[in-house]
Amino acid sequence: MGTPPGLQSDFEVLLSRFQETDSVRFEDFTELWRSMKFGSIFCGKMRNLEKNTFTKEALALAWRYFLPPYTFQIRVGALYLLYGLYNNQLCQPKQKIRVALKDWDEVLKFQQDLINAQHFDAAYIFRKLRLDKAFHYTAMPKLLSYRMKKKIQRTEVTEEFKDPTDRVMKLITSDVVEEMLNVHDHYQNMKNKISADKSNPDKALNLIKDDFFDTIKNTVLEHQEWHKDRKNPSFNSKDKDGEEKKEGKSQETERCERAESLAKIKSKAFSVVVQASKSRRHRQVKLDSSDSDSASGQGQTKETRKRRNKETSKPKGRKLSSRGNLQNIHKEEKSLRLSMPVITEEEEENESFSETEFMAPKKKRKHRTKSLV
Amino acid sequence: MADGVRAGPTYCGLGDRQDSASSTDGCSFPEYELPELNTRTFYVGAFGDLWRGRLRTVGDLSLSDPPAPRLPGCGGVADLGREDAAVARDLGCSLETAAELRAVCGLDKLKCLEEGEDPEVIPENTDLVTLGVRKRFLEHREETITIDRACRQETFAYEMESHAMGKKPENPADMIKEGELILSINILYPVIFHKHKEHKPYQTMLVLGSQKLTELRDSICCVSDLQIGGEFSNTPDQAPEHISKDLYKSAFFYFEGTFYNDKRYPECRDLSRTIIEWSESHDRGYGKFQTAKMEDFTFNDLHIKLGFPYLYCHQGDCEHVIIITDIRLVHHDDCLDRTLYPLLIKKHWLWTRKCFVCKIYTAR
Repeated sequence: MGTPPGLQSDFEVLLSRFQETDSVRFEDFTELWRSMKFGSIFCGKMRNLEKNTFTKEALALAWRYFLPPYTFQIRVGALYLLYGLYNNQLCQPKQKIRVALKDWDEVLKFQQDLINAQHFDAAYIFRKLRLDKAFHYTAMPKLLSYRMKKKIQRTEVTEEFKDPTDRVMKLITSDVVEEMLNVHDHYQNMKNKISADKSNPDKALNLIKDDFFDTIKNTVLEHQEWHKDRKNPSFNSKDKDGEEKKEGKSQETERCERAESLAKIKSKAFSVVVQASKSRRHRQVKLDSSDSDSASGQGQTKETRKRRNKETSKPKGRKLSSRGNLQNIHKEEKSLRLSMPVITEEEEENESFSETEFMAPKKKRKHRTKSLV
Repeated sequence: MADGVRAGPTYCGLGDRQDSASSTDGCSFPEYELPELNTRTFYVGAFGDLWRGRLRTVGDLSLSDPPAPRLPGCGGVADLGREDAAVARDLGCSLETAAELRAVCGLDKLKCLEEGEDPEVIPENTDLVTLGVRKRFLEHREETITIDRACRQETFAYEMESHAMGKKPENPADMIKEGELILSINILYPVIFHKHKEHKPYQTMLVLGSQKLTELRDSICCVSDLQIGGEFSNTPDQAPEHISKDLYKSAFFYFEGTFYNDKRYPECRDLSRTIIEWSESHDRGYGKFQTAKMEDFTFNDLHIKLGFPYLYCHQGDCEHVIIITDIRLVHHDDCLDRTLYPLLIKKHWLWTRKCFVCKIYTAR
């Protein structure tokens, strides 16, 4: 049958509403469930065969949201959704939920997380599903019959339900921090041992900044704070070395502020358009609206990241360019877009022009078009 | 589970087409080789062990009936108390929390239809896109006065799928054991007509992991087995003595570089000899093939890829492509009678033709 039409959008509406409630309680889920009358999704004169295939497809689709890379809240929502679908189905005997071996360990880990976090209702529901024998324990998630379809349907992961990729946090995890601290202490001890004065290392051995470790820690904490405040993903700098990264980040913070102030000045200047005289009306300056549309914000591209990479090594005179827009920063409400909160000025620099060309086929952006008279 | 000598294949033969740096031997974890298409080779028995190892503790494997859902009023307070204690133990919460959970997560919280509402009728003012689509479809049918009945093919398909579900054997010795694996195998129709270009007709059988390959072989019903060879123009009305199935008993399965020949009867020949000799005569680019006896192997002993086409050949030249689509643990709702396996759950619909000789009966 393939996925029944409209089913995915129904699931996503329910899950996104659940996400908005910012809770993982079953009561909140059931309120949404009842308000949408989701249990009636099985209604409507389906005969037995169609009921079976529809239920199978529905369970398989809901199962996808239960596995990583979706956020914790979405996964709990998917668990509730599975519970609701399994118990409201009209097939007799009930269609089961297929679990593949490779996913089972993930599932158990998730259950342990639930118990540890004391989300007892979710854990109870998972336990109940297991006791009701709602699972089929299989080798692979779906039946493989070597169908050579013309186009293999790629399962798309809904962006809004994923955690935005935080490469900084992935690199500097608590393990790494601990490791670094240990190494640093060890290093200091070694230096102390081989120097004359047992408590202080020789001046000649001062090759690193002593407080480099603290600086990293502070920078990372700052970054986390910023992350939480903005609800936007991090500055995705790809430098692997910690020190360079720290400098890169501080550079970027400075550049950000400068860019912001510049942008404010420019916006004041450019928001007023002079009316051209009649003899020059063919060269009238048009102030294009420059609202960023969701397409331009969506999916922060790797090209921009690469750009930024190059820029970290360039001198501080350059401005950061991005896909975002002036208004973006000042907007209070923002959906979880992966757009950079930094402003751009395209016209001035050659670099940006090439960027624009680079980006043009992918995005339908609206620039500020202003002819340079 | 395996009895007899196991000749594990050491080469991959035709199967390996890409950079499988992973060894095929000793792999028991099914994972995709070509995404969404087929998996790498894995050992069925070990796969079963992996699942059983993970599930042994909680009683997931049990095939006995689960306790009936609690109806309000019956089952006394003591039962509920025991249930709450079990919940508290498993989740690490208090008894009061357990009782609260039972109330909060009850099924009545998910009820969307009022009492007496017919599940057949789509409720009004619904926002669900799925229901909207379905409603439009139904309304269209109403407008064009199309009668929506189950056709023969649909009834046939549904019956095949569900006729054996939940069946328990009369003799308890025939009950399937816990933790048994069920493989679902697609056997394609041997003749490839032009009209089969897009969808090849196939039948689907369920077999148990502990069943021998010969049992699958016996259960495959192919029309070429029913052929009657010979010259009968002198005695046209005489009933034929034997069909091809009785005369030509040789057959083989080909899985992952090994030919499993049927050697139960003395007249069975090794059909795979020809292929092996052909492959060895020149350097054709195939690995070394192996042979084995079909009756010595069960499905649990095989190393296979899921979703990958293999071969079944009988009658010398009638070849069927075989694809193993799925393996799973047996479940309480499946057919639990061993004697019914291999179980046919899907058969391609054949347009029947009348026999051109007698013009009375349909041709098989």
